[in-house]
Amino acid sequence: MQVIIQSALLQGLVYSFMVLGVFITFRVLDFPDLTVDGSLPLGAAVTAAMIAGGHSPLLATLTGVVAGLCAGFVTGFLHLLLKGGESDATNYGPKLLAGILTMTALYTVNLRIMGRSNVPLLGVQVIFDKIGALFSISMFGWNLIIALAVLALAVKYLLDWLLHTEFGLCLQATGDNESMIRAMGTNTNVTRIVGLGLANALVALSGSLVAQQQGFADVGMGIGTIVAGLAGVIMGEVLFGVRSVSWVLFSVIGGSIVYRLLIAVSLRLGIAPTDLKLLTAVLVVVALSVPTVRKKVIHS
Amino acid sequence: MKVAPHDAPEALELTGIRKVFFPGTANEVVALDGIDLQVPAGQFVSIIGSNGSGKSTLLNAVAGTFPVTSGRIVLGDRDVTRQPDYVRSRSIGRVFQDPRAGTAPDMTIEENLALALLRTKRSGLGMGVTNRRRAVMREQLARLGMGLEGRLKAGVAKLSGGQRQAMSLLMATIAEPSLLLLDEHTAALDPKVAATIMELTAEIVTERHLTTLMVTHNMELALRFGDRLIMMHAGRIVLDLSHDQKQALQVPDLIEKFHEVAGEAFAVDRLLLDT
Repeated sequence: MQVIIQSALLQGLVYSFMVLGVFITFRVLDFPDLTVDGSLPLGAAVTAAMIAGGHSPLLATLTGVVAGLCAGFVTGFLHLLLKGGESDATNYGPKLLAGILTMTALYTVNLRIMGRSNVPLLGVQVIFDKIGALFSISMFGWNLIIALAVLALAVKYLLDWLLHTEFGLCLQATGDNESMIRAMGTNTNVTRIVGLGLANALVALSGSLVAQQQGFADVGMGIGTIVAGLAGVIMGEVLFGVRSVSWVLFSVIGGSIVYRLLIAVSLRLGIAPTDLKLLTAVLVVVALSVPTVRKKVIHS
Repeated sequence: MKVAPHDAPEALELTGIRKVFFPGTANEVVALDGIDLQVPAGQFVSIIGSNGSGKSTLLNAVAGTFPVTSGRIVLGDRDVTRQPDYVRSRSIGRVFQDPRAGTAPDMTIEENLALALLRTKRSGLGMGVTNRRRAVMREQLARLGMGLEGRLKAGVAKLSGGQRQAMSLLMATIAEPSLLLLDEHTAALDPKVAATIMELTAEIVTERHLTTLMVTHNMELALRFGDRLIMMHAGRIVLDLSHDQKQALQVPDLIEKFHEVAGEAFAVDRLLLDT
């Protein structure tokens, strides 16, 4: 049991940055961004290639994050191009297509960066070893989990602050009522592009940390990221509530951990790893329908 | 630090404004057909007209929702004809018919008002809601007489239609605009709430001498409020009455005038003009 909980906490925390990124696009910007299936392995690819090439893990991680930022910007620009003069905020076609295009292009980019489909990180120092060396502790088990929890909390508070700055309020309003915030003098094309960049930077951070934690980057590791991200966001919201922006940022981190716990338990129960994607899709459907069903039951 | 910048109201000058939708297609519509209009700084203009007369299109053209086909829009001493909507918005306040259009539902009252206070400036990385801004918000919300000043942290989605429209009006005027555009902003409210919002509008506009264009379906409103009355028909201004001229008129006189200029369309339009 302890193994399952440890593994769920580790996976949940390492992927929590991705879930926070999906939260920003899906909930804050009202932009279902499929870029994440490409920007997660992008962060991993850049970091793995750089560490394998002898660069410092810190620099490799940061470069991975910047690569994710750029991927988000690309999606933002593509969306601007695809939507044309259309300013209907509920038109999701161009949003979905922009993400799909970037995600598809990133598959090639990721392969090019790595030079092959898989880059192992065995016998090299990764960022966790560096952090461990700072505090003279070994970065395994609970130590690693605590380090990741501290990082997740730091990112949570940073986002919390950012979303409540003047710019952050404009970012929130871009997803909540775009024509209103344009009437308040904000260029929503800019806020949306910046928001997409920020979200994909977080997703790439997740990818970079996953690669360093599991010891390899693989070109296929991003498949299903959007669904896993949604699972984290929705389960977090349903289980822990949405009373305020500050609170919901905690909720989605919690959702990420619960999701990985369910995965770990399923594996333990003998479900084949290849069946997990179907299970995840079902989980998202169930979590999504909880509020609707609850309403139906109350009204009947 | 000045929390609410005090822009002076400015004059608006429209010259030969034309707007053609779907040009060169079977669906071509000439929505605005050569509008010339000079509004001096501080004037409150009511605009009436039937559906499809172009009155809302005129407001949208001034706000920059779409580019005009031809003509010039000058606000104060700036030619804004080619400025995108979000740039013009820094000097223009707007209230729409739908009470939901003017506020962000998932954000709090104080966050919405902070955005409104930021309208005239570039948003940075300072906190959006500050105690200094809260003080301004409480003072302004208290004027609405709806008790909202004690509910700064409440979500806007929880407010009634009337409360949301009062918020929209406050948000459009809190960072004083050079020009205020009201697009049938009381039409979707029940009569009692509509009257409250209209009184509030008149109070704010008069007190601050805001240059204002108010589109309405309601002839009585147009006669009671404003320094000038404009009637539109088929994309043109067909009647332009000064304050003194309109003082002498009653709703039936206005319908008569409308009959004269609109001719055969009257029978249909009569149903659309509330009296």
